[in-house]
Amino acid sequence: MHEITSRPVATCGFDDVRRVDGFENISAAYPAYLTDESKFSCRPFDHLFFPRSEAELSAVMEEMARRGIKITIAGARTGLVGGCVPNQGALVSLENFDRVLALYHDAPAAEWRLKAQCAVNLRSIAAQLSAKNLPDIERCADGMTLLEMDRFRREPPYFYPPDPTEMSASLGGTVATNASGARTFRYGPTRAWVRGLRVMLVNGEFLDIPRGRYFASPSGEFVVSDSAGRDYRVKIPTYPSPRTKNTSGIFTAPHMDLIDLFIGSEGAFGVITEVTVGLLPRRPKISIVQFLQSDEQAIALVQALRAESRIRLDLLESYSGSALDLLRERQRRDARSVGTPPIPETAGAALFFELDFDPADKTVTMDALDAVVRGGGASLSDSWSAYENRELERLKGFRHILPETINAVIAERKKKHPGLHKLGTDLAVPDERLRDIWAVYREGLAGAGLEWAAFGHIGNNHVHINILPRDMADLEKALGLYQMFAEKAVEFGGTVSAEHGIGKLKAKFLKTMFSPEAIAEMRAVKKALDPNLLLNPGNIFEG
Amino acid sequence: MLKIIHNVCNLCGLCQKSCPFGAISAGAEKITVDERCTLCGACVSVCPQSALSIERRQASPEELARSVGVFVWAECEAKEGRLVPRRVVHELLTHGRRLADRLGQPLLAVVLGDGRLAGLERLCHQGADRVICCRHELLGRYSTDGFTTALSAVVAKEKPSVLLFGATPNGRDLAPRVAARLRLGLTADCTGLAIDDQGQLVQTRPAFGGNIMASIVTPYTRPQCATVRPNVFSAAEPDTRRPVAIQDFPVNLSKAAIRTRVVEELPAAEFGEKIEEARILVSAGRGCGEPSNLDLVRRLAHRLGGSLAGSRAIVELGWIPHTLQVGQSGTTVGPDLYVAVGISGAVQHIVGMSSSKKIVAINKDPDAPIFKIADIGVVGDAQAILPKLLDQLKSQ
Amino acid sequence: MQIAVCVKQVPEITNVRVNPETGTLIREGVASILNPFCEYALDHAVRLKNGDPGIEVVAVSMGPPQAESALLRCLELGADRAVLVSDRQFAGADTWATALTLAAVLRKEVPGYDLVLAGKQAIDGDTAQVGPEIAEILGLPQVMYAVEMSFTPNRKRIRVKREVESGHEVLEARLPALVSASKGDAMRRMPSLADVLAARRKELRKITAADLDLSESELGLAGSYTQVVKVFPPEPKSGGRKLEGLDPAQAAHEIAAFLRAERYV
Repeated sequence: MHEITSRPVATCGFDDVRRVDGFENISAAYPAYLTDESKFSCRPFDHLFFPRSEAELSAVMEEMARRGIKITIAGARTGLVGGCVPNQGALVSLENFDRVLALYHDAPAAEWRLKAQCAVNLRSIAAQLSAKNLPDIERCADGMTLLEMDRFRREPPYFYPPDPTEMSASLGGTVATNASGARTFRYGPTRAWVRGLRVMLVNGEFLDIPRGRYFASPSGEFVVSDSAGRDYRVKIPTYPSPRTKNTSGIFTAPHMDLIDLFIGSEGAFGVITEVTVGLLPRRPKISIVQFLQSDEQAIALVQALRAESRIRLDLLESYSGSALDLLRERQRRDARSVGTPPIPETAGAALFFELDFDPADKTVTMDALDAVVRGGGASLSDSWSAYENRELERLKGFRHILPETINAVIAERKKKHPGLHKLGTDLAVPDERLRDIWAVYREGLAGAGLEWAAFGHIGNNHVHINILPRDMADLEKALGLYQMFAEKAVEFGGTVSAEHGIGKLKAKFLKTMFSPEAIAEMRAVKKALDPNLLLNPGNIFEG
Repeated sequence: MLKIIHNVCNLCGLCQKSCPFGAISAGAEKITVDERCTLCGACVSVCPQSALSIERRQASPEELARSVGVFVWAECEAKEGRLVPRRVVHELLTHGRRLADRLGQPLLAVVLGDGRLAGLERLCHQGADRVICCRHELLGRYSTDGFTTALSAVVAKEKPSVLLFGATPNGRDLAPRVAARLRLGLTADCTGLAIDDQGQLVQTRPAFGGNIMASIVTPYTRPQCATVRPNVFSAAEPDTRRPVAIQDFPVNLSKAAIRTRVVEELPAAEFGEKIEEARILVSAGRGCGEPSNLDLVRRLAHRLGGSLAGSRAIVELGWIPHTLQVGQSGTTVGPDLYVAVGISGAVQHIVGMSSSKKIVAINKDPDAPIFKIADIGVVGDAQAILPKLLDQLKSQ
Repeated sequence: MQIAVCVKQVPEITNVRVNPETGTLIREGVASILNPFCEYALDHAVRLKNGDPGIEVVAVSMGPPQAESALLRCLELGADRAVLVSDRQFAGADTWATALTLAAVLRKEVPGYDLVLAGKQAIDGDTAQVGPEIAEILGLPQVMYAVEMSFTPNRKRIRVKREVESGHEVLEARLPALVSASKGDAMRRMPSLADVLAARRKELRKITAADLDLSESELGLAGSYTQVVKVFPPEPKSGGRKLEGLDPAQAAHEIAAFLRAERYV
């Protein structure tokens, strides 16, 4: 079925919605709403709304549409590309959409599912699932729901697999950006776990879209009808999607599911208000930091680990030798700030991975892993491992401290060169091009004489190259290099943005990756669902 | 009584040297013990052959009733060339007086030291009916072996009903040793002591990092032993009209029985007043950001005439020495004024400072538990507030 | 040479909460860990062993069967073998009964000990009594709050740097001796994956009260001299004023006014 009808919600008066008018008032009382984690600066805007219900949200959308005012949507404001940073008009914060709505077992899929409003954050979901304590649901007096809750408590523990590192991100935001992270290596990006969405369109009506019900017609079309009988015809783009994890541009595939059009669309087509996700049983894990001699040895080991089918890794991350140097330097200054024992002096790179592990199993051997690591010229003796919660937290801290350390270095240099900022890439390539892109990075960086550190999702061939410019001349060189890296990634069949999205900051990279025709196809979808281009102006599409 | 397994004994003579009462004599063929033996256990502890043992039965109510007196170990510290009782002793005597009165029994202080002992009359002014004083050149500085032997000797001979120690580092070292030697029950780190209707000592202490309190009794053994945190009880004003009675208690100690020796002392660089005894403390936590910001905290402490202290977090980060650590695993303090700067107030910290008379807290997190106990709490950034506060205090 | 390390499994105390209605501890979701001070003690043993591979390090624990996981961690961190003594008869043991049991385990399972190490205290009970009581039962000299240690060249003594109220001091004790470890500069180590796998093949002996030379009356509650008669939540403390939303100057003014009113300045 490729036809779907949007339905109106109960309405309320526009004046009932809590709001702040005037840019001066907004910036004085709500400075946090002027930017996101990218620290990208907004342009003045006139209204800030805090709707508490779909009725209020709908009232805002209708009124803004009537006045022709453009709307930017904000969730937890943890994005890295300025997606929720307004450049005009109105900002609508969905922070009050913060209730968990349902927890149920879906019999046909044999899967536990959680349904929540868009502003519920991932940390809260993780904590509630882990404690098996969902207060929003328990407050509801519905006998069936409570019965289901009892059943869930008797089950082994469950978790929601996507883990985009920033756990204060809102569920809706992670869907709008198709967030991924370390665990994408095994579990895929957010897209793989979304089972249903409720989306408010720019006309103030909503669509309920379960996965698996609405598919593009053989001619590549969806038809959305509203309650007044108007039809919006959507022609899905025809360009091929890259064979990597990807958040650049609009997802498309022959016979695609309508739900996938909204996931990762950065709010271009509608406002996600409710999300249903699938859950997985949580098994105990062991995390390992495997020290190696060089970045090249790390790449070879990544390929060997991926090729060995007996090894199932949850995540596969890397630290370049230069990244370890930065951390070692920090340890030398303050041994305790890194929270781990000293990094071995001999280590010239490291891989970080995680796999299933039962601490009570006395027969565990991990022969396959041992063989691959040995085969790569390394030894499991040169590693750190952790499986107790407090120890896992320690290694998690070790992963997070690297970006923090880089930011501190830049902040120090900024004192002398105020215009300075770090440059972090978000490029990914297909598996077979990992070695090639690494060679491009290494030669480019060495040639430019820049200071850099690399870390991230090497298992997905998605390493963040972080350039630490020492002065403005370095920054110039770095910007040029970034463009060259992006072109190479695309040439290798990869993407210019694997997880951060395009937002407002990376719109120029979209042209590196997509032809003018492809971008025109994306714009046509936008135009079909949001004819007056009112929603999230500036995201994905420049201007 | 003392049991000697003669065929295991190799007549090494260590027991003779270790006996504080000279009750053991080594003959050519076997050792003998005379009526001076108090079953203090010093010999059992040093015997390398395990040839000596004391059978200790659990006592009947009549026997328990024969143990009389509340005893306080009066720990001394060196000050200007003299050895004087430290503050926690006065606190214990003040509260011990209440316990002794409730029991209708005398209160005694036990002092161990050398010729430098001084100021002992204060112990009587503070409530003791009598002071038992062991002077010996080997008691001039604390050693586990020397003090255990001497105190066990006093206790075995005098048979008190209650024995209290300050939960200081040495108190916590000595108390379990004496208790084990004499086979006594011991409760650590008490924050409350009372006498119940049966005349038993009810000892209250925090457990699980202060999340829960437990009341503990010692039904079968006397004395009932407890260590008590400093600053839990407040010391009364000394009453100089009280009569002074100091009794010497001779003990026999040999150098050979002290199996440890100090080879080097390394005082901490930043060490002024003991924080345990400070009247005003300004205490820093993780919320101070970085070690360089401690300077502001130090200046405030200086301005208020107080001392610098800190939380476990910053001790572990190496910003201040462990001697300045407040809390469960550090020192329990009870100043008149406690200013907590950037300390969130984990329960382990609160346990160590909640008896402070007035508490001022500055913290960024409005939900920090420290605000639950602060007399005045300010939600805000200490780095911004402290300079202004220093200005304001200067300008008046 | 043998070094015995007495260790305890404890709940991760920072996560312990009390049910405000019943006053009991909420143990659900609270992980069990090797007491950190015990881990520092073990680390000292392993470092001494690194200086002399002939040393055998034996970790010893009394606790429920689950305490095996704390001993596994000891094996991962470098202990050569481990002994867990577990018995329902130990229930209700106070520090004395615990010390008596552990001393019996040491005599039986590590009879050649030259050094007994322990943590300065366990983070759940915080008594710091079991170590000294074991030392007294075994007739050993003791040194508490150690942060560094080494054997003297003739191996007759252990030289210990320890925390004291005024800073640190260095002490020597005749061997065999018991030394309890404080934190000092120690940082908990992270075992390698090879260590983790190897630990699971090391000897972890499980024994019961019947294996010890002790009578029933010496065990658990029966062998304890102290008894817990009541457990209750601490009195909630009441705070005073909490001021929010002040700028730094206003905040400083409020504090200064308080200090003046209370006559501290």
